[in-house]
Amino acid sequence: MSDTSLISLPPAAEAELVRRLQARDESAMTLFYDRYSVALYGVIFRIVKAEDESEDVLQEALIKIWHAFASYDPGKGRLFTWVLNICRNLSIDKIRSRQHRVGSRTQGLDDSLTAQRQAAPTVFRPEHIGIQEITKKLIPEQRQIIDLLYFEGFTQSEVAEELNIPLGTVKTRARTAIKVLSKLIR
Amino acid sequence: MENFQEYIESGILEQYALGELSAVDQAAVEAQAAAHPEIQEELQEVQATLGFYAEAHAVTPPPGMRERVLTNVLAHIAAPVANNGLRTTVDAVAQTTSPSSRVAPAAPVAGEAVVRPMSSAPIAVAPARSSGWAIAASVALLLSLGGNALLYSNWKNTRSELVALQNENSRFATTTTVVEKQLGDLRQENEVLRSDEFRAVALAGTKTAPTARAKVLFNAATHKVYVDVRSLPALPADKQYQLWALDKGKPVDAGVLTAATASGTGIQHMKDVASAQTFAMTVEPAGGSVNPTLSTMTVVGNI
Repeated sequence: MSDTSLISLPPAAEAELVRRLQARDESAMTLFYDRYSVALYGVIFRIVKAEDESEDVLQEALIKIWHAFASYDPGKGRLFTWVLNICRNLSIDKIRSRQHRVGSRTQGLDDSLTAQRQAAPTVFRPEHIGIQEITKKLIPEQRQIIDLLYFEGFTQSEVAEELNIPLGTVKTRARTAIKVLSKLIR
Repeated sequence: MENFQEYIESGILEQYALGELSAVDQAAVEAQAAAHPEIQEELQEVQATLGFYAEAHAVTPPPGMRERVLTNVLAHIAAPVANNGLRTTVDAVAQTTSPSSRVAPAAPVAGEAVVRPMSSAPIAVAPARSSGWAIAASVALLLSLGGNALLYSNWKNTRSELVALQNENSRFATTTTVVEKQLGDLRQENEVLRSDEFRAVALAGTKTAPTARAKVLFNAATHKVYVDVRSLPALPADKQYQLWALDKGKPVDAGVLTAATASGTGIQHMKDVASAQTFAMTVEPAGGSVNPTLSTMTVVGNI
């Protein structure tokens, strides 16, 4: 079902938005914001876990997207994928620099998992399917791995170390989880 | 061929999509994807899935964030233009002023250098009496420059607010169009329901679905047919209900019901039917069949 996806911009509309951004049309940024900001903010917030900082990161990301737009290649993937990666990278940089400041490299899994569990005070969009279905379909072990990889910025080896399981298991679980999720989109 | 599978199973595409790979490894994955459509397809699926996972975590941003962020971003990306704009103003002022004050045979064009000749002008050229005027003029010019800068930044702000408002406006217009269309549909439904020309034919559930209920509205004069569902058993995604008109025992296709109609959301305009004594619904593969599958007949009713 195509309407499970909020970002299902029709290819023509996406191409038009890309064209305007490539042409340095500033007003296209408003359109861009309205299309993508809720999803991007959601990801940033899940990683950074503080409203003020999330807003800063989003702003920084949008400026970066504008300036780096020449390096976006539509042939390599969707616009959403590209901007999502920029936002994730900036957010992960943010928490890493924060952890450096505090002095401890990893918070320790217990802390970060507690934080995750508590990190949903903001209202989930009710018209949005997704989260419920995801919780139903993924077993907790799979979800934990995807969350560590995606929202905590762990590498697969770090996850293996943190959870004390073989790297191969991490890879298999991550792949299975993504397979399960990809069935939800179709 | 079998190598693709091995490559895909290695989990490297997930690592790529999660941004774990070095620049060299990233380029290698991109080259593989460019060379093999199978890998490209799998990679895009992984990326789309992670995008979906991200989207599922969308949260409502704090109030006022749109205005704050957009204003800042637009101001920031417009910044280089703002500098140029101001510089042009300064240059223009410099050009109109310098001939009259007869200074600088070679007035530099660079932005910062322009102010200097102005303040040094009275000392260098003008007699003492006019220096008061010159200072006053310099002050007036500086004030005017400051004023211009202020006006310019106000104008810039107003412009980004305008863009935001226009956007709001167009969103509102879209909503209105949608609502108007829905209203039009409802009006039409209402006309059909109130019209005397339409005969209501109650369709009752068969043995396969005793509790199923539906209604057909048939206009023998215009041949128009509408269907209104009370309750029908839910169907798998690859099946659809199809309405049939039976004319002297011969089944005539009257079209398939959309999922919305089948769930009772509203009435649906079906294909025109010239003449009928009986209406019935069967379960058919999505898209409908040429002939009814009689064993799946769910509801039936005579005029």
